Amino acid sequence: MKQRAFAALAAAWAALAAAQQPAAPPPPPSFAAPNLTPAGVRAMAANCAPCHGTDGRPAAGSSVAPLAGQAREAIVEKMNGFKEGKREATLMHQIARGFGDAEIAALADYFSHQRR
Amino acid sequence: MRRRDFLKAGAGAAAATLAGCASAPGAAARARVVVVGGGYGGATAARYIRRLDPAIEVVLVEPNEAFVSCPISNMVLGGFKSMADITVPYAGLAAHGVRVVRDTATAVDPQAKQVRLAGGDTLAYDRAIVSPGVDFMWEALPGMARAEAQTTVLHAWKAGPQTQMLRRQLEAMPDGGVFVLSIPEAPYRCPPGPYERACQVAAYFKAAKPRSKVLLLDANGDVISKGALFKKAWSEIYRDIIEYRPNSKAVDVDAAARVVKLEFGDVKGDVLNVLPPMKAGSVAAAFITVNRRWCEVDWITYESKAAPGVHVLGDSLQIAPLMPKSATMANGHGKVCAAAVVALLNGQPPNPSPTLINTCYSMVSDKLAIHVSTVHKYDQKDRTMKTVPGSGGLSAGMNELEGAYAMSWAKNIWEDALA
Repeated sequence: MKQRAFAALAAAWAALAAAQQPAAPPPPPSFAAPNLTPAGVRAMAANCAPCHGTDGRPAAGSSVAPLAGQAREAIVEKMNGFKEGKREATLMHQIARGFGDAEIAALADYFSHQRR
Repeated sequence: MRRRDFLKAGAGAAAATLAGCASAPGAAARARVVVVGGGYGGATAARYIRRLDPAIEVVLVEPNEAFVSCPISNMVLGGFKSMADITVPYAGLAAHGVRVVRDTATAVDPQAKQVRLAGGDTLAYDRAIVSPGVDFMWEALPGMARAEAQTTVLHAWKAGPQTQMLRRQLEAMPDGGVFVLSIPEAPYRCPPGPYERACQVAAYFKAAKPRSKVLLLDANGDVISKGALFKKAWSEIYRDIIEYRPNSKAVDVDAAARVVKLEFGDVKGDVLNVLPPMKAGSVAAAFITVNRRWCEVDWITYESKAAPGVHVLGDSLQIAPLMPKSATMANGHGKVCAAAVVALLNGQPPNPSPTLINTCYSMVSDKLAIHVSTVHKYDQKDRTMKTVPGSGGLSAGMNELEGAYAMSWAKNIWEDALA
């Protein structure tokens, strides 16, 4: 009887301790490897269109920088500047941090080959 | 009758070519995709399929004559934009070879592979893309069931005639009146939209009716998007105009008395603007799999978990973690889905690692904006889209540069979806 009471108390104590533990951080995501085939890069680059225009050609009257036909190196440098917080931005630092070096290089290459 | 026969003949031809496609990939097959709904998701998907593979026939079914944008429509309420400013014709899609059929799709039949139209026609498809936006759950507000209630208490949550009507109600309201905006529990279309609307209406009141008030009744426990930024705008720009009440869920509306009934107490206003709880658009009802409200899809192809060959986009979706029901997201869904549908129709594997970027601006005055941004990638293990750790974020503060970027965003996304 005494032993059972003790076991119940121990279980309650363990539950309380578990409840007081800070929540474990969520496991890191298992992202699929980036698709750097031409179709994969084209699909990735399509995400830039809402702000920079289809294929990086902004609409008339847009005040956002064009991407189409820009030098590959210049795009890589800007993206890395955003990523490292060295280049002033409203939101591009937040977007750039979503992409790895290989993705940034592939996107820069893609936009450098689009007609202005 | 003649037109119906023509459509049926076209459908038969498409079905015949599909068989050819399956047996001989790369042959001169002409597959047909029917897109239901010409909003941000559907219009984008239609345009991108034609851009990626002009051999695919694309039919877009849309009841409205022109596209009217929900984003920026709050500025019509503020008096800073006109309906013409947020309206884009569908002619651009037609120039891409998209056949735009002005009708309402009433059902998508995955067995027969047909879309049925209110006008009586049927359209056969090889793949259907359903992007119908949201429907309102009027049953949550019994007093709104009456048609006359719905013409006096507006939602203006689908940009169009109601946007103009609500603006007129605000113009007709005497100075000293109260505009009551009721916000449903999340998830709903455009999480920051109601808080932006409060700013826009308050901007109008500040200039034209300075003794008037905006009263926000939020079913949620706090501002669910860009909270600190909106609260700063409310206290710094609209201090004595906007009042925010959290945990204030509407349970009914008395339209004639202009009263919103909450769980505890009634609130009377001069202009009521009630956003009912929302669910997937009715034509997607057969593909709803979550809480009788939303549609689940495979995030690589956007194919419905309820029906093969049917893809669902935009606000009808059961969202992935931290993915808002926004225009930019629907535009992104449209492009990932378009590429996947083109791949599948050509016997190719779809992109196994799709990426989405969300950028969402809110105009807190005629010139100042704030944003939230996220980057989403496909998680192989959990088979969902997840945000990239360390990416995304909010504005440092409201500012004019982002106001200019927000206007640019509208121009660019309208072209990307419709030009």
